[in-house]
Amino acid sequence: MEFRDYYKILGVKPDADDKVIKTAYRKLARKYHPDVSDHHEAEDKFKEVSEAYEVLKDKNKRADYDEIRQYGSDGQQFQPPPGWRSSQPFGGEFNRDSQGGFSDFFSSIFGAAAGDARQQDFSRQQGFNTRQGYGQMGRDIETEMPIFLEDTLNDESKTISYRLPHYETDGRVSEINKTLKVKIPAGVTDGERIRLQGQGSPGVGNGPSGDLYLRIRLVPHPLFDVEGHNLVITLPLAPWEAALGCKISVPTLMGEIKLSIVANSQTGQRLRIKGKGLLSKTGQGDLYAVLKVVVPPTVSDESRDLWQQLATTAAFDPRQQWSQSS
Amino acid sequence: MSTLLSLQFQLKDLCRATQLSEKTIIEIVEQGIVEPAGESPEQWTFNTHMITVTKKAYRLHQDLEVDWPGIALAIHLIDELEQLRKENLQLQQRLSRFTSD
Repeated sequence: MEFRDYYKILGVKPDADDKVIKTAYRKLARKYHPDVSDHHEAEDKFKEVSEAYEVLKDKNKRADYDEIRQYGSDGQQFQPPPGWRSSQPFGGEFNRDSQGGFSDFFSSIFGAAAGDARQQDFSRQQGFNTRQGYGQMGRDIETEMPIFLEDTLNDESKTISYRLPHYETDGRVSEINKTLKVKIPAGVTDGERIRLQGQGSPGVGNGPSGDLYLRIRLVPHPLFDVEGHNLVITLPLAPWEAALGCKISVPTLMGEIKLSIVANSQTGQRLRIKGKGLLSKTGQGDLYAVLKVVVPPTVSDESRDLWQQLATTAAFDPRQQWSQSS
Repeated sequence: MSTLLSLQFQLKDLCRATQLSEKTIIEIVEQGIVEPAGESPEQWTFNTHMITVTKKAYRLHQDLEVDWPGIALAIHLIDELEQLRKENLQLQQRLSRFTSD
């Protein structure tokens, strides 16, 4: 296992006082907290920083660490000296969120972390201590669930598989694959979470299993963009279709429909097609067709003559407003 | 077949799901961080989204050592940021459909 230089992680000198350590931790925690940071290594960085703070903020743990520090240096392989035992009873009280445990390096010095802050908050209310034989609730697991837009219209059965820790009888932890068939209710939205009670990590001892959360991600569609419960489709039109009006076929999630385009339509205009959007808790959203006039990329001599004829007879100045304002 | 989907929760269910005490959750509700339906704690009903927000609020409270009014503000701003990022992505995608051939 690798030695960890907690002072270096927090960016403080080894003789820094508590106040300096606290400030350094707070700054780094705000920077890397997975709930606020979009740094690609946020979670690992945050774990590192909070582990360092866990040790350095506590007078006794810091003293233990300072002693150990004489035997190792940053990034090098490390083994605690033979006979090493932390001065902390039961490895101390750890103020730990359940996002993941501490490093092997930490455990080798202070023992495996016991109990987290949430567990303690909950158990105080229940009037028992989780460390006295009642076990500990398993961790919640969150996994992403990609869903096609078409599949949100009806209840949809999906098979998911995810990895779970498995506690062997000898106390070792391995990982197993779990497969589950889940019904995704119609009308789910992007970012919504579905909770499957008791399908998370198994509890320790007599503790109940954690929960599984499926975070819905709507897969981007080649034609439709999502805007709340409405869908938007970009509808290309030839200049003459926009000018003369036409009736065209437009795809929707529920199949093609016929749409009338009125004469003199403009790029950017939005046409509402009622009830052809996504399903929502309050009803069905709409589909909006946004018009986009497209000029043919190449023209034949004959067409060019016709455009020329139009240019002469139409007498249209699209920049009329410019000359008015100057 | 697993259909353990429950969409509405009472206060005690939320305590179990988040592993937090009633006292902490009442604090979170009083700060307006989550807004359950119902008048009194006995009548409150929460949804799945509120579980996620409650857990996030508590994590930030613990890890950043920020008091509850500060957490309420942070959660509000994070929400707004996420909303704007999402909107920005949507608009970029639509713009690209419009500007490409």
